[in-house]
Amino acid sequence: MLKIEGLRVKYGADEVVRGVDLAVKKGECVGLVGESGCGKTTVGLSAARLIDARKGKIVSGKILFEGRDILEFDAEGLRKLRGRRISYVFQEPFSSLNPVFTVHEQLKEALREKGKAQEAISEILKSVGLEKISGKKNIYPHELSGGMQQRVMIAMAIASRPDLVILDEPTTALDVSVQNQILELIAELKEKMNLSILFISHDLRIVFSMADRINVMYAGRIVESGPKKDIVSQPRHPYTKGLIGSIPSLKNRKKRFEAIEGKTPLFSDLPKGCKFYPRCKFRIEKCEDEEPAIENISGDHFARCVRAKELV
Amino acid sequence: MELLKVKNLKKIFPKHKVAAVDGVDISISKGEIYGLVGESGCGKSTIARAILRLIEVQEGSVLYKEQDLLKMPYRKMRAFRKSLQMIFQDPHTSLDPRVKIGEIIEEVFIIHDNLSQQERRNKTLETLEMVGLGEAYLGRLPSELSGGERQRVGIARALATDPEFIICDEPVSSLDISVQAQILNLLMDLQKRKNLTYLFISHDLGVVGSICDRVSVMRKGRFVETAPCEEIFASPKHEYTKTLLNASRLHFR
Repeated sequence: MLKIEGLRVKYGADEVVRGVDLAVKKGECVGLVGESGCGKTTVGLSAARLIDARKGKIVSGKILFEGRDILEFDAEGLRKLRGRRISYVFQEPFSSLNPVFTVHEQLKEALREKGKAQEAISEILKSVGLEKISGKKNIYPHELSGGMQQRVMIAMAIASRPDLVILDEPTTALDVSVQNQILELIAELKEKMNLSILFISHDLRIVFSMADRINVMYAGRIVESGPKKDIVSQPRHPYTKGLIGSIPSLKNRKKRFEAIEGKTPLFSDLPKGCKFYPRCKFRIEKCEDEEPAIENISGDHFARCVRAKELV
Repeated sequence: MELLKVKNLKKIFPKHKVAAVDGVDISISKGEIYGLVGESGCGKSTIARAILRLIEVQEGSVLYKEQDLLKMPYRKMRAFRKSLQMIFQDPHTSLDPRVKIGEIIEEVFIIHDNLSQQERRNKTLETLEMVGLGEAYLGRLPSELSGGERQRVGIARALATDPEFIICDEPVSSLDISVQAQILNLLMDLQKRKNLTYLFISHDLGVVGSICDRVSVMRKGRFVETAPCEEIFASPKHEYTKTLLNASRLHFR
């Protein structure tokens, strides 16, 4: 469905996506996980050609949607693509919805066919669990809770019956119990509509529960990728291990977390060799000089670490 | 030893008819980390603010070392504020954007202690070092810091009065999970080193479960369940606790 090859994106002088390869198959949910500022949102925005041209630029690479490179699309081609074949759900529902239009008006805009809009809107609202407001035409976004607003965003995303939905931290602004409801809704819609999903989050717990495949991103590059079960049970990159160690666990109650020390490097000041080297517990001398290539571990499992094969 | 005892606390906000906090009892021992968990709007932050008298309540008492904070004259309460501190959720809005980090901490010593300028400077640096921030941070503004670093400043500000009891109100919920782990480690280290007592508020039962000794689960102004953490995770009694537990995604580890 979606295949990103060698994507490089620059914001001014900083290269924030430094050669990313990623693929989402039909009906598959692929997770993209990493800390704030690792470039994951930029990858998501690029996949829908939503990078603000005043700020950033796709320098090189291909973004193949059903085999065609959307980087070569003109404005008309993109218009037919975005909001129809590819939808985007952002982190903060309230700032993504227009406060001066009703939910109905905004949903109507997202529909592909405008005939029988009323019925279609009711139907969509029901499918995202908003039966309560499906009959009411004059509801404004501010009258809804955060969870309901995010349901509206999802309704708008699926209204055009897209093939690919990019979800960028769709539950981060929500309480855990509401988070769960939204994630269940996404999983249910994915099955029902056979959606392909690119799921972006900093929280491995959520990505683990949603994705079939997981890509871990650090400082603008994928450092580990593989099927969920491999990443959960046999993470090979020290960064992935650190992210997993940061998850609250009852087994290690009242014990210190195996956290990652330090903070993410600035793109203007990246280390020379492996970008994770300064924070890595397993670093050796050669990590300082050369950024390792991504290597196959087994089957479909890849990691960008010189010690990946010994770190079991 | 019982450090803090909240009895039958009740708060009704004038505009709303329902009680935000509806008859709540808490008892926290010295050195304990007591968790308070529930969704947005359940009243957990209202309890925190009531304990510190940042808002006035209609009913109830808050006994700190057997003295009722709610009945205390203002002047006396001010002395008590040194030993009761709070860490806020949002490190972006709880720090004045125009004030340098060094001054934010130094201000605490100006208000509470009678020290020379040199002594104040030394204590400011000492306090920042306790939370893993060095001299380089003294002259920086909050906007130059990451979310995690800002929360460290929030913790340093609370520690500056050398408190015994700290209310942590969602201290990690706006942070990335990797930074969250760092901050939780810091809070656990400080608790051990200084034998601090925490009231730890969160909507994430996973976070509460990994650091707290006891926990109360709150819903619509009331506690639905209070128990030692091990017990609540091994056999949750209330349906609502089970829902929260399920939402915390603890089964991946």
